[in-house]
Amino acid sequence: MMDERIVRGRIDRAGALLSADAPLLHLQQRAGSGLGKPLALPHLARLVALAQRLQRDISRPLHTADDQSDIHALVRITPDAEGADVEISDWRPRPADPPQVPAIEDSLATPQEWAWECDQQLRLVALRPGAEAPALPADWEGRSLSELFELQPDEDGRFPVLRALARQSRFAGQRVRAELDAGRTQMELSGHALFDATGRFTGFRGVAALAEAEEADSAAPPRADPIFGSLPLSDPRFGRRIDGALRGPLSRIIATAETISGQFDGPIRADYARYAGDIAHAGRHLLGLVDDLADLQNIERPGFQAAADEIDLGDLARRAVGLLAMKAEEKGMRIDAPRTDDKMPATGEFRRVLQVLLNLIGNAIRYSPENSLIWIRVDREGDRAMVTVADQGQGIAADQQAAVFEKFERLGRTDSGGSGLGLYIARRLARAMGGDLIVDSAPGQGARFTLSLPARD
Amino acid sequence: MADAFSSPGIDMPSPTVSSRLRELAEYLAAPAAGRLTEEQRALSLGIARRFIADVAARLDPAIDSAALWRDWLRRGLPGGEPLAAACYARAEEYRWREQSARRAAAFAASVTEKVAPAEPGSADAVSPETDRAYLALRIADRRRFDGFGHPALALADVEPELFRTMLQAVAAWRRAQPGGDAAQTAECDEAVCAAIARQKDESGIDHAAAAFHQALDVMVPDAAAKAIAAQDWTALIALAAVAARRSYDAMAFALLTAESAALPSLLAPLRLDRAALAPLEASLATLPARAVGDDAAEPVP
Repeated sequence: MMDERIVRGRIDRAGALLSADAPLLHLQQRAGSGLGKPLALPHLARLVALAQRLQRDISRPLHTADDQSDIHALVRITPDAEGADVEISDWRPRPADPPQVPAIEDSLATPQEWAWECDQQLRLVALRPGAEAPALPADWEGRSLSELFELQPDEDGRFPVLRALARQSRFAGQRVRAELDAGRTQMELSGHALFDATGRFTGFRGVAALAEAEEADSAAPPRADPIFGSLPLSDPRFGRRIDGALRGPLSRIIATAETISGQFDGPIRADYARYAGDIAHAGRHLLGLVDDLADLQNIERPGFQAAADEIDLGDLARRAVGLLAMKAEEKGMRIDAPRTDDKMPATGEFRRVLQVLLNLIGNAIRYSPENSLIWIRVDREGDRAMVTVADQGQGIAADQQAAVFEKFERLGRTDSGGSGLGLYIARRLARAMGGDLIVDSAPGQGARFTLSLPARD
Repeated sequence: MADAFSSPGIDMPSPTVSSRLRELAEYLAAPAAGRLTEEQRALSLGIARRFIADVAARLDPAIDSAALWRDWLRRGLPGGEPLAAACYARAEEYRWREQSARRAAAFAASVTEKVAPAEPGSADAVSPETDRAYLALRIADRRRFDGFGHPALALADVEPELFRTMLQAVAAWRRAQPGGDAAQTAECDEAVCAAIARQKDESGIDHAAAAFHQALDVMVPDAAAKAIAAQDWTALIALAAVAARRSYDAMAFALLTAESAALPSLLAPLRLDRAALAPLEASLATLPARAVGDDAAEPVP
């Protein structure tokens, strides 16, 4: 049974319920409290406190119960200077069986999840499986979160859980791999920070959810002792083994360096923290190179084909801009993206086109001066749909324009910004999708990269 | 008790009517005494429900604990007063800690500047042994919750006699189910013995509390004062329990039912300043519907 109404309430800064629609007030009263008194629904109270601490809206599933029913709902909490507004929707009371007593909760909100809690050093103090979740690994008690789960970096090479640890805030989307009885399992962690009465950070509490299955390539079990010498370089297994052998250690190096850099175990000398930050940065660069090499191996194998999805280049350009907006903002740059009504139907593989656009826009951000402008336009010429990324960087001389699409070509740059494979991969992908990638530039006038794909009516 | 209602002219009451009459009789016997709130009732019932499911799973994971619970709700739960005392004590401890956690969260939200991390070598620095012991205490404490964070009884912490009673009750219920045979009955009896033996080998929160107290050594009073300031009631209860040679559950119950004036004597073994007790007194005083007993300093039966 689902109630379409929105149930509203108002909480003050101290956590007291100031006003509430009837269902919420009824629940508060059944929990032995009332108006003007502290919110007596623990889960909701925790979410309100979280929103107030973060000073941002949060929307979460809500689980609560009285002695008559369990209630599952969605709650949106909007904090302000005086307290917080609560809006509860999708209110689903589940009558207990038999009436008058709470129903047996034999599973988590999502039965495939694990509930976990760790201390401020990320050591696990609780791990409980949902009814349909994989069995827990043995000896998890007291082990480090990063030991039990192999942390995976996000698209920017960062680790959400470590960033949250530094900021003592909530996090989501931390991809991890876990070694379970069933084999290597991809999961995703999210959690919120815990504090004691003195405001001291005491750890995180959250859930670990099964992530979507990995691609076959990356799901291959890691080789404990890869015998690289017995395989020719052209053998795809060579690339996969390098990928598997490097990714884990690099992830651990980055995680450890970020832990040191963030001074999570207490202050250290500033220059040591800076060195650790450099190590993490270099580690992320190497991880990016591993990604590029794995990609290279994949697209250069005979018979590589890209999917022919129905895509909209305008939509993909806006998505790519959304993913890189923070990076541009850090350099004070503005990206002029296609308007939401700029559509350009085309045929190509969704994630590969997004990958190309991320590479082009990422390069534009990396090699353009601060406070400059990047613009992105979509267009059509005959049966070609096109998206152009233009920047105000130093530009590329005509005799070097072909070279930028060569492997490992960085036009003499020695900074740690790229591997020299991105544009090579991008053009290979464009051509594999029946399109092309070209550059138009002159020294001092910026560069215009144009991706063209088969247009779709 | 039921005999008291078999007065002339009144038929034997149904279980529901009988229950209400008993409740009314108890009320009339002490009208001024505070009653259980709906929250206390629901929490205790939830704890009992999870406990019974855990006991059944320990006996045999194949037991339909939902059917068992439904059946016992109709007929009444076994375990009597020991079960009620365990569930009530755990529920009260949970209410107290939840209240503190809510206030701590509200406090953290009101603090605009982040608390500076502790300096290395400051008083917060603890020995690796203490650190590990505190971690073990937190792990033992979190076993007293289910996956949702709802309170539960960890089987390792339950009084052996109560555990045995509940195991035997579950085994008897199972034997009474249709389709049971002699072989299954024998298996069930063996499972009861195995579960009792297994519980003896398990170390629960009392063991973790003792290790924590031992690791702290002369630092116990300091750690207890800090636990009070941080409203880390698990650590405080653990230290107080070991210092007073009580179980964790007994000390939690004693604190929760103590008058403010009784707190100094209750915590005397911890050698705390009177001023250090203030946050504890304040926290207990603001817990709604708390039942205070005169005999708080006495061990819980």
